[in-house]
Amino acid sequence: MSPGVRHLYVHLPFCASRCGYCAFVVETGALDRRDAYADAVLAELRLEERRLGALETVYLGGGTPTLMRPRRLARLMEAIRPRLAPGAEVSVEANPETVDGRALRALRAMGVTRLSLGVQSFQPHVLAALDRAATPDQARRAIACARAAGFADLSVDLIFGVPGQSPADLEADLQEVLALGPDHVSWYELELKPGSALARRGADLPDEDAVADAYAGIVEGLEAAGYRWYETANFARPGHECGHSLAYWGAADYLGLGVGAVSTVAGRRWRNAPGLERHIAALAAGHAPPRTEEALGADDRRRERWMLGLRLEGGVPLAWLGPPDRPEALARLEAAGLLVREGDGVALTRAGRFVQNAVLHELMEYA
Amino acid sequence: MDQRLIRNFSIIAHIDHGKSTLADRILQATGAVSEREMRDQVLDSMELERERGITIKAQAVRVHYTAADGETYQLNLIDTPGHVDFSYEVSRSLAACEGALLVVDASQGIEAQTLANAYLAIEGDLELIPVLNKIDLPAADPDLHARAIAELIGEDPERVLRISAKTGQGVPDVLEAIVARVPPPSGDPDAPTRALIFDSVYDQYRGVVAFVRVVDGSFRRGERLVSMRAGLAFEAEEVGVMSPAMTPTGELGAGESGYLVTGLKRIGDVRVGDTLTLAARPAAEALPGYQEAKPMVFCGLFPVDADDYPDLRDALEKLSLNDASLQWEPETSQALGFGFRCGFLGLLHMDIVRERLEREYDLELLATTPNVEYRVTDTQGQEIAVRSPAELPPPTRIARIEEPYVRCTVLVPSEFVGAVMGLCQDRRGAFVTMEPIEQRQQVVYDLPLAEIVLDFYDQLKSRTRGYASLDYEVVGYRESPLVRLDILLAGDTVDALSTIVHRDLAYQRGKGLVERLHKTIPRQLFEVPIQAAVGGKILARETVKAKRKDVLAKCYGGDISRKRKLLERQKEGKKRMKQVGSVEVPQEAFLSVLEIGGDGRGGGR
Repeated sequence: MSPGVRHLYVHLPFCASRCGYCAFVVETGALDRRDAYADAVLAELRLEERRLGALETVYLGGGTPTLMRPRRLARLMEAIRPRLAPGAEVSVEANPETVDGRALRALRAMGVTRLSLGVQSFQPHVLAALDRAATPDQARRAIACARAAGFADLSVDLIFGVPGQSPADLEADLQEVLALGPDHVSWYELELKPGSALARRGADLPDEDAVADAYAGIVEGLEAAGYRWYETANFARPGHECGHSLAYWGAADYLGLGVGAVSTVAGRRWRNAPGLERHIAALAAGHAPPRTEEALGADDRRRERWMLGLRLEGGVPLAWLGPPDRPEALARLEAAGLLVREGDGVALTRAGRFVQNAVLHELMEYA
Repeated sequence: MDQRLIRNFSIIAHIDHGKSTLADRILQATGAVSEREMRDQVLDSMELERERGITIKAQAVRVHYTAADGETYQLNLIDTPGHVDFSYEVSRSLAACEGALLVVDASQGIEAQTLANAYLAIEGDLELIPVLNKIDLPAADPDLHARAIAELIGEDPERVLRISAKTGQGVPDVLEAIVARVPPPSGDPDAPTRALIFDSVYDQYRGVVAFVRVVDGSFRRGERLVSMRAGLAFEAEEVGVMSPAMTPTGELGAGESGYLVTGLKRIGDVRVGDTLTLAARPAAEALPGYQEAKPMVFCGLFPVDADDYPDLRDALEKLSLNDASLQWEPETSQALGFGFRCGFLGLLHMDIVRERLEREYDLELLATTPNVEYRVTDTQGQEIAVRSPAELPPPTRIARIEEPYVRCTVLVPSEFVGAVMGLCQDRRGAFVTMEPIEQRQQVVYDLPLAEIVLDFYDQLKSRTRGYASLDYEVVGYRESPLVRLDILLAGDTVDALSTIVHRDLAYQRGKGLVERLHKTIPRQLFEVPIQAAVGGKILARETVKAKRKDVLAKCYGGDISRKRKLLERQKEGKKRMKQVGSVEVPQEAFLSVLEIGGDGRGGGR
C-alpha cells in the first residue's frame, strides 16, 4: 500500500510583467482573476486529495506567488495545513518588490517556513537586461525584512551567463550574497528558452569558456564561505537544503496543482494545460482541468534517475539508479576523473559535475 | 516516312543560355504540347534536373512541323546535357543527328563548354545553326556576338539567327532553318536494319527502354532484335516515339528516332553505343559506337547510421539501373565502417548521385574526399590502380606514381586572366596557350585532374565573379611526386580523411585541413588533438579543447520531462555525427577535406 504522495507543488501564475528570460506559464494583467484562481486550486486539491499522504514539503511557486497577497495565500494554507506532516517544509517564492515586512510576517504566521527570493543580480544593468522590476536596494531590503520576520530558511535566486554581465559584475554579486548571508543560494546559468523575449531578441550568450569561468568562480566563492554545492545549481549551509527540490532529484512522487503544473504519481506523469480561463472554468464546474498525460516507461524513469541523481553532490546508490545503458563507460569515466564509485554509490567528481550532460551521454542512451 | 521529310537535330547550349526554353517553345509552336500541359522545361523530367536547371539524360522528342514550303516535316529533337561531366552523352546525342542548334546568350557570348560541344558537332559533320538567344535583354549585343560566333564556326554572320525563346520572337525562323539547313538522313531504308542506341532508361514496369536512331532499314513491334556487340537477343515489346509523352507507333523506319521497350531487366544488357539489328536479317557490320563513359572521380559513400547499409546497397542497385556510368563496390573503412567506393563521371555526377540517394531513398550519407585513379608502379614493377588513399602502398614499395591530367580551357574576360592563372598555378597547372576569343581570353592549362575535383570550379567562379566558364578533357597520365596526407584524431589515423597530395603541397594542405577540422569538430568530453602527418611525420597540429561546461542549468518537477527530452534531442544531434574511435566527428568535417581555396564549401555547384 503506497503511503501517498508526500510532496505538493502549487503553481501561482500571476506576474506584473514577463521577464526577458521567462518561458514559464505566467499570467500578466489578469490580477482580477486571483480569487477565482484560488478557488480553482482549492477545488483541484479536493479532487486529488485522495492521492496525498502526510506532506513533507509544500512549494508555492510561480509566476509571483506573493502577488496573490497574504489573504489568498492564507486561504490556500488553511486547506493544506491539515495535510502537513510534523516539521514539514513550506516554501514560497517571492519577488523582492512584492513583499514588505507585513507581508513577510503574514507568510510566517500562516506557516511558511522557507522563503525563496528571486534576486537574480544586484547589478542594475544586469537586472535591466533580464527585464527584472526590482532594484538592488529592494532586494537588500526584502532580505533584511525576511530575517526580521523570522525566516530561518532564506534562499536567494541568482543568474549568471547574462549578456553584458562582466566577471566584475559577477564577483560583485558574489560578494553581496556572501555579505547578506542567505541560508541557501540557487545560482542558475541563463538559458535562452524558446518563447522568451531574450530568445526573440536574439541575445548573444557568452561563450563556453566565459560561462565555465563564471560557474567555477561561483562554486569556489560559495564553498569557501561554507556553503555546500549540494546540487548542480544549488548551494546551502548544512541543514538548509531545499527538501522539496531534493524530492524531485530523488525521483519521488509529487502532486502539482494549478495551471501548467506537473504531477508524477505512481509511474504516471500529467501536466495541467496552460490557459487560465479554461483551467478555472473546468474546476468551477467540478471537473479536472485540461491535462496531457505522458506515458513513462521503466527506461524513461531509469534515465531520469540518472539525470537527476548525478546532480547531487554525494551521488546516489547504483542499485537505486538502475543499470546504465553502457555499463562499460563507468570505468572509463572513473579513470578520466569524472566519476567516482564508492561502495554502491556513484557520484560525479567536481570536474564531472561541470559536464554532466556529456557524462550522461557516455552512460545512457537518451532516445 | 519519307526520309526527305525527317530532320534529326539537337541543341547545344551553355547552362542558362536558354536551351530548355527554346525546346519548350518548339514543342509549343508545333502543337506537341498544349498550353495547358506546358510547364517550364518539359523535357527535364527528373526532379533534380528541373531544380538545377540542367539536363542529365538525353531524350528524343518528335514533333511535326508544316513548313513554308507546304510540306509537313518530322522533327526529332535529341536533347543533350550541358555539363562537362556528361559530355560523353553529348557526343552520343550528336551521333544520332544531322544538325544542331548552337544556342548562345546574346548578352554573354559563347562559353567554353559550348565551344567544345560545337567543335564536337563540327567533327561529327553536323550542320550547325547558330542562334543568338535572349535578344530582348537590355544587355544583349547580337551584332558583336553574331560576328564572333560566325568566326568561330566559319559561318556567315548574316546566317546567325536572332531570337528570344522567352517571348517567342524568331522561333519560326529557327524551325524554318532546321528544315532548310539540316540535311535529311541518308540511310538506306532497304538495307538490313541498323539502329544506334544513344540512351537507355530503366522503367520499373517495362524494364529497359532504349532510345534509338534508326540508320538503315526499319523494325516493328514484335520483331526479334539482336544487339550486335553484346550479342543479346530480345523482342521489341513496344516501339514508339516521344511526343513528348511515350506514343506507340508500332514501327521505326530509317532516319527516325524513337524508343523501344526491350523487356530486359538490367540496364547493363543494353549498352549505349551498341547497334541493334533484326535477328531474321542481321546487318553485316555494326555502326561505329562510342567510347564507353569511364568513371573519373571516386569516393566512398557510407551510411551515417550503420544499419542503413543494406538500404544503401539497394538504392545503389536501383540507381545503377538508370545510370550505367555509376560504378560501385563494397568498401570498408576503419573510421566509417561499411560502405561503397563509387565511381562517377565527374563532381556534378557525384553530387547528383549523392543527392538522389539522400532525397529519393531517404539515406543519410557521408562522402569521403573524391579521388582520381592513380597508377602506381611498385618496386616489383607491377602496376596498381589506386582509387582511394587507403590503397596507396607504403612509400618504400612505390617505384613511381602517375596521375591523370586534364587540359583545361577557361574562357574569361581579360581582367580576370590573372586570377585564373593564379588559381591554375596554385593547383600545379602548366600553362599551354592563351588567345583572345570574342571580347575574352581563352586560357588553356594542363592540370592534374585531382586538383580539379576538389573545389577548383567553385574557386574559379568566385575568383572571376562568375564570369569564367570551364571545359576540360583528359590528356593522359603523368608522373608526380605524390604522398598520402593522413589525419590523426586523438592519435588515431582516420582513413576517411586521408588524401593523396603533391609532396610540395603536403604541409600547406595539411595545415589548412587541420585548421578547418579544428573549426568543425565540436568540443567533447576529452580534448581532441588533430594532426596532419605524412609517413608518420607530423606536419601540423591543433587541439579541440575539452568541454568545460555542459550541464542542464536547472531541473525541477515541472522540467523533468522537458530536460529528459532535451537530452534526447542532444542525442539526436549526436547521431548526425560519426563516432570515429573516441571522437564524434560531424559530417561537415568530411566535407572540409574538399576545400582548399578557403571560402565556401567545396563539391557543390
